[in-house]
Amino acid sequence: MSDVLEHEDLEDLECELDAAAAKAGRTQRRRTAIHDIEPGADWNDVEHAILTRRSIRKFKGRQVPEHMIRRILEMGRFAPSQGNCQPWSFVVVRDKAMIAEMEQYCVAVCKQMTATIDYTNYPLGSEQRAAILANTQKLNREAPNSFHPVPMTAIKSIANGRFAVFHKAPTVILILADKRGVGVPDVDIGITGTNMVLTAQSLGLGTCWVGFSRLLSSNADLLQRLCVAPPFEIAEAISVGYPIGNPTQQTISRQTHEIVWWEGGKKQILY
Amino acid sequence: MTGESIEKAIVPPDHLPIWDDPSEALYKRVTIDPDKCDGCKLCVVVCPANILELYGPKDNLKARLKADATGCMSCNNCYAVCAGQGVFATEPYDFAGFYEQKRIGEFAYPRKF
Repeated sequence: MSDVLEHEDLEDLECELDAAAAKAGRTQRRRTAIHDIEPGADWNDVEHAILTRRSIRKFKGRQVPEHMIRRILEMGRFAPSQGNCQPWSFVVVRDKAMIAEMEQYCVAVCKQMTATIDYTNYPLGSEQRAAILANTQKLNREAPNSFHPVPMTAIKSIANGRFAVFHKAPTVILILADKRGVGVPDVDIGITGTNMVLTAQSLGLGTCWVGFSRLLSSNADLLQRLCVAPPFEIAEAISVGYPIGNPTQQTISRQTHEIVWWEGGKKQILY
Repeated sequence: MTGESIEKAIVPPDHLPIWDDPSEALYKRVTIDPDKCDGCKLCVVVCPANILELYGPKDNLKARLKADATGCMSCNNCYAVCAGQGVFATEPYDFAGFYEQKRIGEFAYPRKF
């Protein structure tokens, strides 16, 4: 047998092992259900959790039991990561006063930001408007993602007090990224967070990703109390709580995306 | 049905958006069916962009878009909570110039393959 096993070889090997196991009366190894799925079959539990998940921004005041948060964190721990480096660490904040303080600081930063980037505060044709617009465009060039129109709108809403950064959730999970991680640690943060969000969804909890949690990185006092120190940095946060209403009662539509499909020597564009 | 259709501005691909010009940021693509709306206010509460409001007499409240509605990111939270399926983002949000949405298709519900 060659060193490189072909696909067929592995399948044969699997059959041989199964046959041997059956002969010896050992329990069959557990198989994934993927082989049993017919085209057009119903959603399984994981797919159902993915399709019914919503970003929840209004929570009930009731605290989430500790064991449920532990259960969610446990699923985050079992996420895949590059080189299995697991470049994450979690900070769970369930203290009302602490969350309020974090909220307050983020609002203060957003207020500062709107003062220097929101040119719509000044009338058309005014000197201030022109000066601030020039500043906004410069920042926009340097960091087009951070100053995308959607976060720009959110920054304004936060500064006006229309929108709570942590959504007044009873529990906030900060995900810290180890900057020494293999490859691209931020991708691993996304994967561990997705595991936790989907677990929360399957437990009947609501979650929302809070990218604005990164604003906390400029507050040394808060960072110290939250035990965030190099090489760790705040990468993301997830608000967790019981949702108001029943936001999972229906699935919603999402836009489709171009899929380039190469097969059999030709290319197709699918949606 | 309420909802506004705005023509998209034609601007060069490196153009930075003027955020208060609706033709450069197509936000207002939420459709509300007053016949299906029972004025329960859930959509107003859950909208992250805070662009919905109630109007009308107390015994016959209906939801509508605010006059200065910008910031809809077509998350469809409103549709998800609406028992009567009377409110939804009809099209994805889009921008002109640098932030123009590319390689996207129509809205679609989860499809089974």
